[in-house]
This record gives sequence, structure tokens and C-alpha cells, in this order.
Amino acid sequence: MQPRRQRLPAPWSGPRGPRPTAPLLALLLLLAPVAAPAGSGDPDDPGQPQDAGVPRRLLQQAARAALHFFNFRSGSPSALRVLAEVQEGRAWINPKEGCKVHVVFSTERYNPEEGEGRLGKCSARVFFKNQKPRPTINVTCTRLIEKKKRQQEDYLLYKQMKQLKNPLEIVSIPDNHGHIDPSLRLIWDLAFLGSSYVMWEMTTQVSHYYLAQLTSVRQWKTNDDTIDFDYTVLLHELSTQEIIPCRIHLVWYPGKPLKVKYHCQELQTPEEASGTEEGSAVVPTELSNF
Amino acid sequence: MQGTPGGGTRPGPSPVDRRTLLVFSFILAAALGQMNFTGDQVLRVLAKDEKQLSLLGDLEGLKPQKVDFWRGPARPSLPVDMRVPFSELKDIKAYLESHGLAYSIMIKDIQVLLDEERQAMAKSRRLERSTNSFSYSSYHTLEEIYSWIDNFVMEHSDIVSKIQIGNSFENQSILVLKFSTGGSRHPAIWIDTGIHSREWITHATGIWTANKIVSDYGKDRVLTDILNAMDIFIELVTNPDGFAFTHSMNRLWRKNKSIRPGIFCIGVDLNRNWKSGFGGNGSNSNPCSETYHGPSPQSEPEVAAIVNFITAHGNFKALISIHSYSQMLMYPYGRSLDPVSNQRELYDLAKDAVEALYKVHGIEYIFGSISTTLYVASGITVDWAYDSGIKYAFSFELRDTGQYGFLLPATQIIPTAQETWMALRTIMEHTLNHPY
Repeated sequence: MQPRRQRLPAPWSGPRGPRPTAPLLALLLLLAPVAAPAGSGDPDDPGQPQDAGVPRRLLQQAARAALHFFNFRSGSPSALRVLAEVQEGRAWINPKEGCKVHVVFSTERYNPEEGEGRLGKCSARVFFKNQKPRPTINVTCTRLIEKKKRQQEDYLLYKQMKQLKNPLEIVSIPDNHGHIDPSLRLIWDLAFLGSSYVMWEMTTQVSHYYLAQLTSVRQWKTNDDTIDFDYTVLLHELSTQEIIPCRIHLVWYPGKPLKVKYHCQELQTPEEASGTEEGSAVVPTELSNF
Repeated sequence: MQGTPGGGTRPGPSPVDRRTLLVFSFILAAALGQMNFTGDQVLRVLAKDEKQLSLLGDLEGLKPQKVDFWRGPARPSLPVDMRVPFSELKDIKAYLESHGLAYSIMIKDIQVLLDEERQAMAKSRRLERSTNSFSYSSYHTLEEIYSWIDNFVMEHSDIVSKIQIGNSFENQSILVLKFSTGGSRHPAIWIDTGIHSREWITHATGIWTANKIVSDYGKDRVLTDILNAMDIFIELVTNPDGFAFTHSMNRLWRKNKSIRPGIFCIGVDLNRNWKSGFGGNGSNSNPCSETYHGPSPQSEPEVAAIVNFITAHGNFKALISIHSYSQMLMYPYGRSLDPVSNQRELYDLAKDAVEALYKVHGIEYIFGSISTTLYVASGITVDWAYDSGIKYAFSFELRDTGQYGFLLPATQIIPTAQETWMALRTIMEHTLNHPY
């Protein structure tokens, strides 16, 4: 299969579509490595539309989806990462199958410590099946924090959670002014971890999610040593601008795979009250060895 | 622009400071019991094995108590933090050393730390209590903003005036600030913030910007030149009903609050209600949708007010609509992938503006046309402005890129406003130097 670089005819998403180069998979190589400078491509051909901006957005969204998956799989609220910068990437779009993205990006810790400016690097292959959620993700990242340190911090978080007094009097995190009380930070981090699973599962080529706010939290007593939480979050979907409430149930123990069950509301139409999206997961038995 | 600069480029969440948590409880204890911790230290001990761990545990059991564990003995390899009163320091350190327990001094003198913390807390309380001064680094209610507008206009009546351009659906006044050094119908620049009510950082940025303009006039050569030749109009609360709702009931409300008979859901997306590609892709005909375009172009009083004002004025040369979040600077079109005729010029201008922004705090914005940078959206403000002959039409998406999203902490208001100002200034300067 010989992928070939080609300048796209205008407009790129026109009726004719890509020219197949091989029987199995029609490939259209959109863009070679995207350089670091922020921008949306070269407008040197004023006659052509700005197609370079599309892959850039796609690369960012693929990187974020990969990070949702990575964070969830790590099962560690102390090792959460966020996207720092997309460094390079390529995309292949097959109108019948979907969209494959290979992206290299830098990350930083969600909770950087004093003076810590370290960046990790990740490489990911993200496959968005046509309009279907749960993109297939293959992601590896360089280590950002020492395994021992991460375990220590997870364990500390665990102990602090066990000591929380229930019922928790939480209104919302962050509050409406964006503030997260330091003593509530641990709750937010764990919620973010659980939400990562939900956001990954719901992501499609066009739908991309952010965690907007945590609106209620309830911790359950357990017979074993696990942490058991029920909480509701508001997710923000970018392309539709919708706010989606989800109920998430999470069971966690440091070092063990994360268990998540969730139930999200769908958009209200004038006729029906609400639909639901449900899902649950236990991390597959692969080892996380960061 | 190279990769992400280290340190404070990505204003993320504040770091977990468990020590502060513990110290606060100490302050409370000290305040209540008037205890004194002068000379007390916190030692961090690392036990190598279970045997050493149990030695530490023995300390815990001593009566009278000689140490106070902040982080108790749990497992070897996990640090143990203990507060040791000044009077016991010598004995405890001897104990540790004789048993080969490695330790380090985490806090040399607790009282010093407590005093510092107490001072910091008192200081911030003083700032909050200071009345009569509007805080540019906080978020405000509709009433507070409207009240500030009246004060502001009064204090700077030589350059600023207030114009009511219409009424919202719930009959709230729609206000615009006019910055002018005189003349009749100078070419003008339009800036709006808050068209989507949940984007609180935009109103806050607009207010800071208004103040910046009056402060810098006569001092900053570029701004002074701009204002001497052109007028600036700023609509701070473009969606007053929605904004009030974000304070009272739903912090994440986006649309206006219009109600129509027989329609179950409330509100129209004001940034889909403009007469430019109305009803096309990237807008929704479902009234319950966040991007509901409304029954017809300009059906919403908040949009109609602006259209009427700008059309009647007839001499606007630039329009800038400010949103959040995503960190982007964009130009038309949103409704299609087609480039505008002066795309090259807008691309270059956006590039310059984003570089000027970056120089302030190292925050990276991406830029390009709306449809290729963000998404396809129809019936939007800047498309209408461009189609109406306003060549320099831009849309901002301010901080951040999703960590806090709409709930951007108030601590980021001023940095955001400072960097955005440099981009605005760049655009306004270009508009001044390229009359048409």
C-alpha cells in the first residue's frame, strides 16, 4: 500500500471523495508532520480553502481522547495528565470506515507541584470508527513521575478519602467561580479519573467531551478496603455545546484496576423527556506498568 | 513559537498542599487554645523495614505523649511525618539516631510557618473587606456590573458615555459603552462580551479592558492614536437575561431566556440567530438544543438591538466578538469552508495578534477561520458582520483549553485580560492603519 502525499482539491470534503490507492483501505494522507507553531496552515494559495486547520483540530481531539483513555487505564488519581501540545501527527480518512490518527504530543501533570514544569511525551494511534463512540486507542507515554512516588501519593489520597466524614456536604466542585478548595481536591481528582472513562467511551470523530463540574458526591461504606463513590458530573460536549449530566459509580483501590459504571442523559427533544446512555467497565487484565 | 515553555504557561489547578491543610488545623488549634509552637519541628522519617516501623510505633504509644504523628507509620517505604515539641527534640533525635532511623527536618520551626500563614490570611481578608473599590479580579453579578458602568461613566465622562441600545426578552436594559474623543461619526470598532452567558471570563475581560482604555489614553501612543481617530464601543453584557440566570439558577446556561408559546424549551443561541447562512449546518432547529437558532434571523431582541445599532451607525470598521473557552482567535466564515476575500490579510493579522498575546504570559492560541479551526457554525455574529461590509471581523475564544473550561478561576481574570488586550490592540491598530 503506497500512501501518497497529495495536495487536496478544493473543497476537501467534496462529493467525489478520496481516490482509492488500494483495494482494502482507501487512504488519503492529509498532512505530513504538523509543525509546532500555532497556526492553521499556509494561505499561500488564496484560491484554496484552509484545509490545514482541519487536521490540526483533529489531532488535538485525538490526543485528548488518547489521554482520557490513558488516564483511565492508569487507574491513578495522582498520575493524571493533560494535553500540553500536539507536536506532530497524521490522519487518514476513509469515508466508509472512519478516521485513523497517529499523533505525538506532550503532556503535563494535571496537578503540577511547586516549580514542576516537566513534560511527558506520548505517542498514540486513535481509530475513530465512523460516527461510533469508543475509539480504539493505542497509547504509550514516557514516565512523568516515579512509580514509587505515584504509589505513595495514591495511597495518601486513599487514606485521606477513608477519613472523610460522610455525608459529604458538597455543592459543586469547582464552585461557580472556578475555585476548588484544597481539601476537596482529592474528590475532584478521583472524579476526573472516573470521568475519563466515560469521556473516552463517548468520544466519536465529532463528539468531544470535557469535564465541566462535579455536582454531587456520595461515598459509600465498604466491607473490603475499597473506595466506593457515587457522583454526578456535568460534561461539556464541544461541537453541540451541550451539557450532559452523568451519574458515575466508581470503585477504587490504589494499584488495582478502576471499576466504573455510568449513566448519562441524552439531549431533550420537545417530545421525549430524556434518553440515557449507559456503560460500565472493568479495566482489561493488561498490566499497567508505568 | 516553539514548544510549551516550562512552568507557568499552562495555568493549571493549584497544587495539592497537604502541609497547608495540616497547618490550617494547627492555626485553628492555636487560635482556640492559644498554643505556642515555637521551636517545634516536623521530622520526616523513613523506616527501612517492619522492625524500624514498629520502633516508630512505640513512640506513638508513649505516655506522656512525646510526638504527634501527622503521617503515621503505615508501611516501610512510606514516609512518616511527626511533630516533635521543642522540649522533646533532643531525646527524640537521639532515639532515632541510636536505632539507625534516617530522618530529615521538614519544618524547622512550626510557629514561624503559622505566623506567616496567619498574616497571609489576614491580608486577603483585608482586601475583600475593602469597600467602594470594584475588584477587577472577581466575577460580578449583573447588578454589580451595571452599577460599575454608571460609576465608570461618571468618573470618565470626558471619554466614556453609556448608550442603551434596546431591551432583553425579560426587559433588562441592553447597554453599550462608547469611548470617543469627539467628532461626528468617527469610524468605529465594536467589541462584545458575554453573548453566551456562561462564559464569565469574557464579561470580566471586557470590564478590565474598558478600564484599560481610559487608563492608557494619553499614555500609550498606539491606543491614543486609535481613540483620536476612531470610536470604540463595548457591549459588556450582551445576554443579560442569560447572565442573571447563570447567577441564580444554572451556572452553565448559554442561550438567552426567550419563551415562545407551545415550545417546551427556553432560549435561543444568540450566536446562531444572525442573518448570515441562518439555519445552516452547525446550528439546530430543535428549541431544546444549545445551538437552537431561533424561529428566524434576528428574532431575538438581543441580536436585533445590535443589528439596528450597527446598521444605523453605518461606519463600523471592525467587530470583535469574545467567547470562551479554547484559546483561539478566528475570522469568518463559520458557516462554510469558503475563504473570505481578504483571508490572507486576516490570517497575517491574527498571527500578529496571537504573537502579541503570547508575549504577555506565554499562553498559546491557535488561529484561522472559524469553520476550519473550531467547527462549522451558521448564523453567527462575525459572518453577519463580514457580510455587512465590516472587513475586520474576529472572534476570540479565551482561556482555557478545558481544565476549568467555563469555570475559569477568578485568579486568571487579570492575566487573561492583560494578554487579550495586546491582541485587541493589535487588531485595532491594524484597522486604524488600513482605512477603507
